[in-house]
Amino acid sequence: MVSLLLLSLGNRGGGARRPGDFIAVVITPLEAALTTIHRSAVGVWSAYLDWKSARRENQALRSEVERLHVQSLQVDETQKENLRLRRLLALRDRLPLSTVAGEVIAKEWGGWVRSVTVNRGRSDGIARLTPAIVPEGLFGRVVEVRARAAVVQLLNDPSSAVAVMVQRTRTAGVAEGDPMGTVRLKFMARDGGIQVGDLVVTSGLGGVFPKGLPVGWVTAVEDRGSALFHYAKLAPVADFARVEEVLLLTGQTGADLFPQFAARPET
Amino acid sequence: MRLTLALALLGGGLAQTSVAPALRIGGVSPDIPLILAVFLGLSRGAEVGCLSGFVMGLIQDAAAGGFVGAQALTKALAGFAAGQIAGRLWVSDPLVQVPGLVLLTFAEGLTRYCLLQFFHFPASFGDLMLYVVLPQALYNGALGAASVLALSVAESWRSGSLWR
Repeated sequence: MVSLLLLSLGNRGGGARRPGDFIAVVITPLEAALTTIHRSAVGVWSAYLDWKSARRENQALRSEVERLHVQSLQVDETQKENLRLRRLLALRDRLPLSTVAGEVIAKEWGGWVRSVTVNRGRSDGIARLTPAIVPEGLFGRVVEVRARAAVVQLLNDPSSAVAVMVQRTRTAGVAEGDPMGTVRLKFMARDGGIQVGDLVVTSGLGGVFPKGLPVGWVTAVEDRGSALFHYAKLAPVADFARVEEVLLLTGQTGADLFPQFAARPET
Repeated sequence: MRLTLALALLGGGLAQTSVAPALRIGGVSPDIPLILAVFLGLSRGAEVGCLSGFVMGLIQDAAAGGFVGAQALTKALAGFAAGQIAGRLWVSDPLVQVPGLVLLTFAEGLTRYCLLQFFHFPASFGDLMLYVVLPQALYNGALGAASVLALSVAESWRSGSLWR
């Protein structure tokens, strides 16, 4: 009935569009609203899909970044190790005596004893009092030898004493460690002259260390009222806390080794 | 339990040459075996304290290349003393444990210095006490306090979990 009525009204002309207009007035906003809702829903859904995909991608990228970061650290570590070993190898090639390279596997840093343990021992031909060096100079000496390990007493151990001389003036003295972890120069004749910045090297006296191994730089001179001797503080050439590999001098030489260190290449 | 104790002693002895250098602050590193020996003495009595101090001290002596037996003796004495104190004083309070650890570290250093004089240890007494023993005693105290706090937090968390 309604349909027929509407059809007849439509055929009459004039107000024929009124029912259509009336319906349009009602449905147009609804259509617009529905379209908006649909578009929003589609937008939200596609945003959700985008977010989901971005999240997945982000997680994948994060793990990739993490993996690459670890890889870069490993490469960096390998490069540093390579550089250290190349320097050690270069020094080993320059030295006119037989050496054995060792890796530091433990450290004792309490103050009473300052030592490191290296992974070379009796089976590698290491004996007690074998000098240990690094590319910068003297590091210490072996005090305990085991089958496959050796304990190296550091230069700054309170019980360590090394016969040294000032490289510039050739004045002899003794470099001793102390509980503070520094190295002190003792019993150096006053007339020999010593200045801040002087390099101190092993003198070769005593027969334990070859002559000319750099020991440290003079950082302060203390006279302590002594009429006969100079006392001084030394900054060791070796950075004891960071050393990871050392060379153990298994051979003997009477030659002055200082030129081998002075001529070392820049890295 | 014995296996756990043996592993703890071995770990404590080896920690001094592997972990302690990494814990260095201003050139001072803690004496991990001594801390362990004192706490074992306080918690399990003089015999366990003495034995653990001896074992860890011996490992330290062997690893460091010093006079073998010196730290074994002094740490055994410290562990024994901690156990004796535990039997006489109220030591469950951290306010007693931590200063006790500082004092025992100082006493251990003093005993070790006296012992090493028989072997002509060249370091001067003043330097050693001022730059090694005193800073290490304070560091041991701080580390001991942190350990006691961590243990009590862990214990309360555990008992809370069990209650639920």
